[in-house]
Amino acid sequence: MIQVRNVSKTYLQGKQEIQALHNISFGMEKGEFVSIMGPSGSGKSTLLNLIGGIDQPSAGEIFIDGSPLHGISDDELTLIRRRKVGFIFQFFNLLPILTAEENVGLPLLLDGVPFSRIKEKACRLLENVGLGLRTDHRPEQLSGGEMQRVAIARALITDPAVLLADEPTGNLDSHISEEILELLKNLNQAGQTIVMVTHDARAASFGKRIIRLKDGGITEDVSVPGCDV
Amino acid sequence: MNLWNLLRYISMKHLRLQKAQIFMAVAGICLGVTAIVSIGVVNRSVIFSFQDSFNRMIGNAALQITGAQSGFPESIIEKVQDVRGVQYAVPVIETDGMLVDGKERSMLILGVDVLVDTQVRDYSLTGESADVPDPILFLAKPDSILITKAMADREGFAIDQKIQVQTVEGIRTFRIRGLLNPEGPAKAMGGNVAVMDIYAAQMAFGKTGRIDRIDVSLRKGENLETVRQAIMDALPKGYMVDTPAGRTRQVENMIAKFQNGFDFISYLAILVGMYLIYNAVSISVVHRRKEIGILRAIGCRRKEIMLLFMGETLMISVIASSLGVALGLLLANSLVGAFGKVISETFVRTSVTGIHVTWLYPAIGLLCGMITSLIAALFPAMSSSRISPASAIRSVPYTEDKIFTTLRLNLGGVFFIALSFLLFHIYGFSGPYLLAAQIMLAVGISFFTPAFLNGFVTLFNRVFASRLGSAGRLAGLNLRKNLTRNAVAVAAVFFGISVFVASSGYVHSVKGTTLNWLDSIIKSEIILSSGHPGSSTNAQIIPLPANMSRELEKVPGVLAAAPWRRAFTDYQGSKVLLSASDYTQYPKRSHDGAGPGFMKNQTHFIPDGNRVEISEAFAAIFSVKKGDEISLPTPAGPVVFKVAGIVVDYSYDSGVINMDIKTYQRYWGDMLCNSFLVHVEAGAKVGDVRDEIQRRFGVDRKLYVLSALEFKNEIRKMLDDMFIFNYALNVITLTIACLGIIVALFASVLERTREIGTLRAIGMLRRQIYGVVVLESVLMGLAGGSLGSVAGIISGWLNLEGFFVASLGSAKYYLPFGAILWALLLSAGLSALAGMIPARRAAKTNIVEALAYD
Repeated sequence: MIQVRNVSKTYLQGKQEIQALHNISFGMEKGEFVSIMGPSGSGKSTLLNLIGGIDQPSAGEIFIDGSPLHGISDDELTLIRRRKVGFIFQFFNLLPILTAEENVGLPLLLDGVPFSRIKEKACRLLENVGLGLRTDHRPEQLSGGEMQRVAIARALITDPAVLLADEPTGNLDSHISEEILELLKNLNQAGQTIVMVTHDARAASFGKRIIRLKDGGITEDVSVPGCDV
Repeated sequence: MNLWNLLRYISMKHLRLQKAQIFMAVAGICLGVTAIVSIGVVNRSVIFSFQDSFNRMIGNAALQITGAQSGFPESIIEKVQDVRGVQYAVPVIETDGMLVDGKERSMLILGVDVLVDTQVRDYSLTGESADVPDPILFLAKPDSILITKAMADREGFAIDQKIQVQTVEGIRTFRIRGLLNPEGPAKAMGGNVAVMDIYAAQMAFGKTGRIDRIDVSLRKGENLETVRQAIMDALPKGYMVDTPAGRTRQVENMIAKFQNGFDFISYLAILVGMYLIYNAVSISVVHRRKEIGILRAIGCRRKEIMLLFMGETLMISVIASSLGVALGLLLANSLVGAFGKVISETFVRTSVTGIHVTWLYPAIGLLCGMITSLIAALFPAMSSSRISPASAIRSVPYTEDKIFTTLRLNLGGVFFIALSFLLFHIYGFSGPYLLAAQIMLAVGISFFTPAFLNGFVTLFNRVFASRLGSAGRLAGLNLRKNLTRNAVAVAAVFFGISVFVASSGYVHSVKGTTLNWLDSIIKSEIILSSGHPGSSTNAQIIPLPANMSRELEKVPGVLAAAPWRRAFTDYQGSKVLLSASDYTQYPKRSHDGAGPGFMKNQTHFIPDGNRVEISEAFAAIFSVKKGDEISLPTPAGPVVFKVAGIVVDYSYDSGVINMDIKTYQRYWGDMLCNSFLVHVEAGAKVGDVRDEIQRRFGVDRKLYVLSALEFKNEIRKMLDDMFIFNYALNVITLTIACLGIIVALFASVLERTREIGTLRAIGMLRRQIYGVVVLESVLMGLAGGSLGSVAGIISGWLNLEGFFVASLGSAKYYLPFGAILWALLLSAGLSALAGMIPARRAAKTNIVEALAYD
């Protein structure tokens, strides 16, 4: 499902070159739930952005669902993000001007689908994440946990090949975090491939496999005990 | 389709939420379109009204023969009538009369030969009048007059009522013999028309034995051009034989110069609109940077982001332009009367009663509004599409768009300045090219604003920043962070201040030059005229008999009264001003020496000398030198005059010819004048003499009797009125400059929310934050102000050379020191005021929210 081959990423900070990722390679099968862990600055969010096509590697190759993310135009990369990847961010990143159902339907709206055809699916997804009664609420009228549920529903609206979660519980209290992680686990059990970046070992344990990063390199790639990988 | 979704679900909501910004952008474009539509429609309406009046006046005549403004001998009629192909040669007196009753309304008086005039014009009288103007009645009673039904209804006049009209001979009483139905000539000039017998009109308006024009109708089957050529051959040189279309074209060309100035205002207004749209879209992009990042992250393509902003702008521009069209039509409707009055007073008699709307100007307004908005939105929209999703959604601090590097901008600046010099080199100071060259120069200099701001801030940091504490250091650093964006605000100030200084320098120089010139030519203590003393075109002036000087000289205290005639004549197909005065009077009082004007050498004007002096404008336009001979058309045929000198004379930009009045009277047979220059005896009180003149002559006619000081004050007032446009321009450009600063700082504060939160968290006081932002604003203002002052001085000089010197003659450029000082004070003061709004927002930054931003 995901192939990362010899990927490196360097940034220019002022005149200084920063090596965020260094020659990383790994693969993921369909239906896996991988947690990427590491201390701050280890490159885990950079790796997630590369897998999601938000950023492009300085070297190496990445494939998602058979599609290469390298050597393609920005438009092609964007369409892969739109159709094959679902994003969940730490700060939810919902559009404050849209209602919950409109936020959920946004990726399909971008594809030119009329909202009348999206509405039913958006409402169903909101019901699945426990927000069936909040479809008309704007983000400012929702709690942090509820906003993250809307973000999850939005990530699922295009039936993506992979769900990418960047510190999805980083901005939530422990009780709500538990609920969100349970939700992700259930999605994975239903067959959804998930990559989650976290620095929280408890959160990481909800995945089936943990990849640890340090200074831009993989230091460990292990299965979570008790999980069938 | 997806763009439609974006517009519907994203843009429409933003448009509803960002009311203030949208209002500003809509107002900007609406203002521009309103200006374009209203000025266009008013211009068109004035021309249409003139054409309509003209066509009604000329009836079914195919040709019109005109000569000097003073008229030409009646004997010409026979010569024309004898030309093969001419059916009727109909003489006409066409002059201004002032209705003394009621509102002192000016009206056009047609003196016609009632026996033949109906062959070219249709007069239909109302039921209560006779069927046609009764020739016998007209001939027997020279006080007979026909007025239009419209005028009678408006003024409450009836048949057989007596009305008083100011004529050359003073106020005279006429009896209304009939009312003209609103058809044919009676519908011209908004109905302000009266018809008299030609003989009576000649007597009343000082044109005995002369006529103003001949309208010619042709026999069936005759070729127009052949007959025209035959008439020209039959007449002495200097007569103009033209078709009605040719005559209206001449007038249209004359008015065009005046209208171009107003067109310029509308272009400026649309530029203002563009700047406001640019600002609105720019700030929207900064404000919605995170939203753009999210949209990009979940699959929105670059071009879709760009189209999103372009689509929003299109929506705004359609609303704004439609509003602008509607407002433009309303404004045109309310302005058309006043505009027509100005044209009538300044150029040509016309009466505009309503607007004449075609689809053209509303369409131009709509298209201009939409196209300019889209052009203005293009750059910010393009920059929105380049926002990286990764940095935007993680709120990585804004970095400058790398497209506009300082090097590229400097190269752009060099390119535009070079283009400007190229235009100067090729076209010199020619009006439209001068304007284009100046715009290029301003654009070129504005491209250097990032580099200039960088240098300015470096200087500030080295010399002043440390003395102003943390606020000074932070302000200096912040300005450098987003140099290009801040430079846009500096460029707005630069533009505003340069226009202000240029306009002040130009106005200051024109006023100084003109008043100095007036001082040099006005040596009399009193000026007496029948119309506004500042009028240079004779519009709506009822002349005075020149021999009135004898009566004036009988007034106690009057030493001499010199008549001054100003009449237009044709020279090589152009209209030039003949200025004739009694120079023999001057030696009596010229003890104070001659000025630089036409007083310089009195001997040039020996009455029998056939010598003239010409203005610099005349010399330049017709390439005439001192010592050359020029041939002027007189009613009796062309007469050659020797050019005795070239003098400063700013009366008329198409050229002035000065000559002695006796020479003028001898050749033109015109015994009228526009004004008298009255010299007062030593020891006599000017005020007393003036009052006595008014007492003796003011009863019989409307007169302006002014002391030299009052006259100059009138001219000064007139110049001030003339420059209202410049003052309006100053206000507009300075307002834009303030808006530019507000927007730049507002965007800057938005981008620095986290930074400001951090500063507050570590102990910076609200007032310190406020101080930093206001100081940034003042620095931007001063940078723009100082650059703008330098550019303004150059631009002011160029304007003087291009618009004044090139058309009227040499002038001195007065450096506007006061305006420069004001410019610097205004740029600092207005910038401080503009900075207060974003400064308040910055000072109110909530620390927790700001730090949670990331």
